[in-house]
Amino acid sequence: MTARLRALPLLARYIPRTMPWVTLLTGCLTSLAIFTVLVRVAHHDQATFWLDQGTIRLSLLPAVAALAFVPYLPFRPLTRATPVPAWVTPVGHLLLAAPILALTYWAQQRIMTTAVPPHTPQDPHEPTYALIAQLVGWFAVTVAVAAWIARSRFAELAGAVAAPIAFSIIALAWYLPITAKFLVHPPAIAHSVAIGWYSIAAVALTLTCLAMRDHWHRYTRVLRRIAAPGRGRGQSGEPSSKRGDASPARGAGATVAR
Amino acid sequence: MTGAALPGPALPGPVPQGAGAAAAGPVMAQPRLRIVLSLARIEAVRIGRGWLVLGGLLGGVLLIGAWYWSGQVQPLWWEAGWRIGGGQLILAMAMLAAAQLAAGRSRRDGMADLYASFPATAGLRTLALLASLAGAVPASLLMIAAGVVTVQLDGPIGAPSLMVLVAGVVLVLAAGAAGIAIGTRFPHPLAGLFGALVLFLPAATTHLLPGSARWLLPWQVIQDQLGSLPGPLTGYPPAGAHAAELAGLAIAAAIVAVLMTARSGRARAWLAAGGVLAAAVICFAGTAQLEPVPTAELNHLATEMADPASAQHCDTAGQVRYCLYPGFGRELSSVAAPVNKVLALLPVRPSPTLTVRQVLSVDFTDAGLTRGQAQQQISRWLAQTRDAPGTVAATSAIYLTAGAWPASGGSLTDADFNVALAAADWAVGFTAGGRIQPYPPRDEAREAVAIWLAILATHPPAGELQQGVTRQGFSPRPRSGSQPGRPAFFSIWFYPDGGAGAVTAPGPQVIPASEYLLAKAMTGLPERRVNQVLKDRWATWVSARTTAAQLAAALGVTS
Repeated sequence: MTARLRALPLLARYIPRTMPWVTLLTGCLTSLAIFTVLVRVAHHDQATFWLDQGTIRLSLLPAVAALAFVPYLPFRPLTRATPVPAWVTPVGHLLLAAPILALTYWAQQRIMTTAVPPHTPQDPHEPTYALIAQLVGWFAVTVAVAAWIARSRFAELAGAVAAPIAFSIIALAWYLPITAKFLVHPPAIAHSVAIGWYSIAAVALTLTCLAMRDHWHRYTRVLRRIAAPGRGRGQSGEPSSKRGDASPARGAGATVAR
Repeated sequence: MTGAALPGPALPGPVPQGAGAAAAGPVMAQPRLRIVLSLARIEAVRIGRGWLVLGGLLGGVLLIGAWYWSGQVQPLWWEAGWRIGGGQLILAMAMLAAAQLAAGRSRRDGMADLYASFPATAGLRTLALLASLAGAVPASLLMIAAGVVTVQLDGPIGAPSLMVLVAGVVLVLAAGAAGIAIGTRFPHPLAGLFGALVLFLPAATTHLLPGSARWLLPWQVIQDQLGSLPGPLTGYPPAGAHAAELAGLAIAAAIVAVLMTARSGRARAWLAAGGVLAAAVICFAGTAQLEPVPTAELNHLATEMADPASAQHCDTAGQVRYCLYPGFGRELSSVAAPVNKVLALLPVRPSPTLTVRQVLSVDFTDAGLTRGQAQQQISRWLAQTRDAPGTVAATSAIYLTAGAWPASGGSLTDADFNVALAAADWAVGFTAGGRIQPYPPRDEAREAVAIWLAILATHPPAGELQQGVTRQGFSPRPRSGSQPGRPAFFSIWFYPDGGAGAVTAPGPQVIPASEYLLAKAMTGLPERRVNQVLKDRWATWVSARTTAAQLAAALGVTS
């Protein structure tokens, strides 16, 4: 456990460095720019009564597209061979992306508030929690699709493939009468929308976890030995292969295929 | 997929850069056109059978189908062409992303050096990619064919506009050229996705944009009044100018793409000149699109709306006059069927003639329609159409909004029921003034009779009718200066799909649930018995003072 904790500072440096910041920030800034332009145009045209949560949803699509590139695992074959589980990097990237996405949404809400003063007839009455649930669902679906495509032969273009597929899934959920009954407000009530999208997010999260798992069984003891080479059993002269561990000489290949 | 190098059989083997003139000689001898055509053929096949383009084609066809298969939209060819273009927009988005991926292939993942060793230069490859856009044309034509079949199967009104359909193909090509221009400069796949979203977002948010500028967007489907027109309107939308604008955009994007890879100064100069020409075409086309719709056309439209009789053809069948706009005659039989069934069930026929008339719901405040017109002229049209038939109900008329039969989001059964109920309301003596509902909602036997007649005439699903029972709060009308009172809740009934067919007719706006429940009970009784009871005291039952309870007692219906 201590050895794992010692690996954290190393990962804390590695994960932000490999994070696709430019892609994510471009997506979020594009979302903000599109939203600002729409608000400005509507304001100029005295059509702010048309501004609603649909405008926020639509303008967040570039951010959703950018998120599809976040779970990307750089140098995949090499990373898989290291003692650190393969899911650590994409999960770290997603954790770093979450506040950026939340900040983008918050900024959009602020812009909306300035354009449409509260308690006016134009004020959108749809509850915010339902919108947040929808966006969480969208993000989760996108990440799940990207994570699964990352396991396929299209891994190098996972984001480019995942984004259109995620958009198609969202569009189908939105427009198919059978799903719209529960996921779109109206006809669905806000509670149903929130529950529906959070359920989808939970399923997507489970699928993401399944997709990100290692392709093979990992020998976790190797991690301990690499983290503390001076105190490992190999130091005492006892052959580690006796205990079934992979030897340090096997290095990056400290894994055994199923 | 798109990350792999181009297959080689059509090309000579790789020639390392820096090889001597002897090695470069055969390459120079290779006719450039042949290289471009070979590459274009390969790329066209890749694009044409790529999952992005096939997915875009499927998505576009599904979108067109969703409009027409669900009966949401009445198939009017002057509108349907633009809706087919909506499907082309989905294909164009996919095409843009696919072209961007193809154009960015050589720079993605550090492959630039490898591609530089090929005999085809970057400029030739770009030209080949642009030529390969022809691979998208079959997909686009397939979309048109699918759209035309879909609309044609629905029994459309009017004739398709070739220019609008061609503009859809040009849209796909322009999107492909834009994708190549983006991919040549930005190889990251996200750039293509952004490009596709930039194509989509304005089309999805046209309601936020100024009406006059809507036609300048690559494509727009939702915010127009084509579905409310009785026929095609000259200059609305400006299809030819729009196709020219898209062609200009396609040429401009192609020039930008080639410009980024061209090395020769002379070629760049020619391309710059071409760019200026393309910009001029775009500007001229844009200006042409902002030209106002001819005033005479709008005058005619306002007259058709304010005085439909001046433009309509009327047929009298039995006691009913059906007045429809030219071209909509085929709707006569489907509109007349529920009305005739109600009339056949009536124990006593009322003496006045019923008129079933199509009306228009054109919005003359829409800047997309009245762009460039003087404000005074627009005010005149608004004044002319303020009291147009259909804006308020009339005692002896049923109004059907043109372009909304039987669609407007509902099915033919729902529209039939609404027309039948409207005819029955007229038959039992409701007047236009009866739409103002007293507080509390008044219980009248004649509405129960009307609902019974409509149910017998059209046989809607019982479950659907039952869904209409609900409780609703009503506040007494406040006296001048006083606050409205506390709402009281009443059980009411409304037909769940009351909007189907867009029917305006005399009859109460709020129907107490007791009237529906009595009508439902009446359908369980022998028809002859109900007919006899109604016939014996018809004048009593159609009186506004007779309650549903009295009719129930006469029929022996217990609550």
